[in-house]
Amino acid sequence: MIVLLAVSPASILGALFSLDMVYALTGVVLWIFAAMTFADRGNPRRIGTGCFWVTLGVIFIAGSLMPHWLTGLLVILMVALDGAGRVARGRYDETTDAEHAREADRLGNKIFIPVLVIPFVTFGVAVIFRFRGMDANAGALVGLGFGGISAMAMGLLLTGGKARAMMDEGRRINDAMGTVNILPQLLGSLGVIFTAAKIGDLIAGGITSVIPQDNLFLLVLANCLGMALFAIVMGNSFAAFPVIATGVLVPLIIKPFGVNPAMVAIITLTAGSSGTLMTPMAANFNIVPTALLNMRDQYGVIKFQLPYALTIWTLHVILMWAMIRIF
Amino acid sequence: MPEWFKLLGIAIVVVGLALKLRTTLVVVMAALVTGLLAGIPLLSSEGIFENLPYLTKPGQPGIINMLGRAFADFRLMTLFIITLPAIGLAERYGLQEQSARLIRRIKVATVGRLQIVYQLFRVLHGILGIRLNGHPPFVRPLVFPMSVAAAEAEAGAQSVDDLPIQRVEDIKAAASASENYGNFYGQNLSPVQAGIQLVLVTMAGLGYTVSAWSLVLYAIPITTISIILGALQFWLFDRRYRRRIAREKAEVRVQ
Repeated sequence: MIVLLAVSPASILGALFSLDMVYALTGVVLWIFAAMTFADRGNPRRIGTGCFWVTLGVIFIAGSLMPHWLTGLLVILMVALDGAGRVARGRYDETTDAEHAREADRLGNKIFIPVLVIPFVTFGVAVIFRFRGMDANAGALVGLGFGGISAMAMGLLLTGGKARAMMDEGRRINDAMGTVNILPQLLGSLGVIFTAAKIGDLIAGGITSVIPQDNLFLLVLANCLGMALFAIVMGNSFAAFPVIATGVLVPLIIKPFGVNPAMVAIITLTAGSSGTLMTPMAANFNIVPTALLNMRDQYGVIKFQLPYALTIWTLHVILMWAMIRIF
Repeated sequence: MPEWFKLLGIAIVVVGLALKLRTTLVVVMAALVTGLLAGIPLLSSEGIFENLPYLTKPGQPGIINMLGRAFADFRLMTLFIITLPAIGLAERYGLQEQSARLIRRIKVATVGRLQIVYQLFRVLHGILGIRLNGHPPFVRPLVFPMSVAAAEAEAGAQSVDDLPIQRVEDIKAAASASENYGNFYGQNLSPVQAGIQLVLVTMAGLGYTVSAWSLVLYAIPITTISIILGALQFWLFDRRYRRRIAREKAEVRVQ
C-alpha cells in the first residue's frame, strides 16, 4: 500500500502528460464539435457531418487501444460519408466585424496573449521532457495539446467570453477546413500502403536502370525530380515523401554514400514543396486564392510562382549535392 | 500480371484529382487498389478474421489493418484541432483587427516590400509552430487591401478603379504567392510541425532515428534561400512597375 502511494503520483503525472492523453483531449474537443453539429439546424447535413467528427473523435480517444482493423473500417466510414457529400458547413454563433473592432479597441494587444500561449507551452513542455531524459519530440506534441487547453483557459479569462461561444468559433474554423483536415493523415497512410506494395522499389528500379548508381549528382537530381513530380501529381509533398524516401533517398543515397539522414531528408521534403507551387492539384494553395480574390485567370497564382519554383528547385539539387560533398 | 500494374494507384490519384473527385475518397481508393494489385489481403488473418477465405492470407497483414494502424499513428498531424477553439475565440475578440492595426503601423511604401514583410511574417508563424493556410485569414482581408493602397499611392490614383486592371491582377497573384512561399518553406522551422513529424515517422520506419531538432537545423538553409529569392522576385516586381510608370509619364510629357 505504501509502495503504491509512493509510486502513483509519478505514474499519474506520466499518464497525464502523455501523447495518449493529448489525443484523448483532442477527441473530446471533436466530440463537442460533433454534439454542436447534431444540434445545428442551420447545417443541411448535420447528421452526416456530426457522424464524421464523432468518428474522428473515437479514433483520437481510442486509437491506441482499438484493433487496427476497426480503426481502418472507421476511416473508410469517414471517407464514405465525405464521398457521399454528407459533410457540410453549418451556422455558427458569430459576431460582426464592427463588434470585432470594438473588442480590439477594448483589449488591444492583449488579444495576442492566448495565441502566444500555444507556442510558449509547446516549447516549455518540450524542454521539460528533454531535461527529464524523455523524448523531446513527444514533449512538443504534448505541449501543443496542453498549449491549446491553456490558451482556451487564458482566452476565456482575458476576454470574459463564454465557453460555448468559444467551442462554436472552434467548430467554425474546423468546418471551414472540413474533411481536408484528415488529408495529411490519409496521405501518410497511402504512403505506408505504397511502401508495403513496394512502389518505391519499382520507381527506384526504374531510376537505377537509367542512372549510374555511382554518380551522386545524377542520383540527387533524380531524387529531387522524383519528389517534385510526385508533389505535382499528388498536389502535396507529404504524400510524395514516404515513396521517394523508400524508393530513392534511403537505398540509393543515404545507405551507399553514408550520408547524414536528417540533412538530406528535410531537403528532399522541401524539393517537393517546389513542385506543390507549380500544380493546380494543390487546389487549396494555388486555386482557392484565385477564387477568394476574384482573379480572372484561374492559373494566375501558379504562373506568378513558376519562375520562383523552378529556381528554388534547382537550388535544392545544388544545395543537397554540395552539402553531401562538404559534410 | 506485370509489376508496373501496381502503379495504377498513382494513376487513380492523378485522374481522380484531375476530375475534381473527393480527395479523401480518391486517396483511399488508390490505397485499396494498390494494395490489392500488390497481392496484399484486405484483412489480417487474426482474431475473428482468422483463416477467413478470400479476405485474408495467412501471415500477411491486411490493407485495412495497415490503414487503421497508420491513421492512428499519424494522429499527431491532426493534433492542431485542439488549438482551434482558442484561435476562434481570439478572432471573435478582434485578433485579425488588431493584427491589421499592428501591420499598418509598419510603414511599407511599395507593393513588393509589403509582400516581403508578409513572407517573413509567415516564416515567423512557422517558427512558432503554427500551421495554417493564410489566404482566407490574412491575404484577402489584410495583405491584398494594403497592397492596393500602396499601389494607389505609388501611381497617384484615387481609388482601385483608377489602377490598370492587369496591375490589380498582378497584385492578387503576388500576395497569394508570398503566402505560399512563407508557408511552405517556413513551416519546417519548429519540431511540432507536421512536415517534420512526417519525416521523423517515415525515417524511423526505414530504420533511421533522426531528431526533430536536427531536421529543423537542416531546414534553415532552404528557408534562407526562399526568403532571398522571394525578396528578389518582389523587388523586381516593384522595379518593373516603377519603370512603366516613369515611361508613361515621359510619354505624357512628350505629347
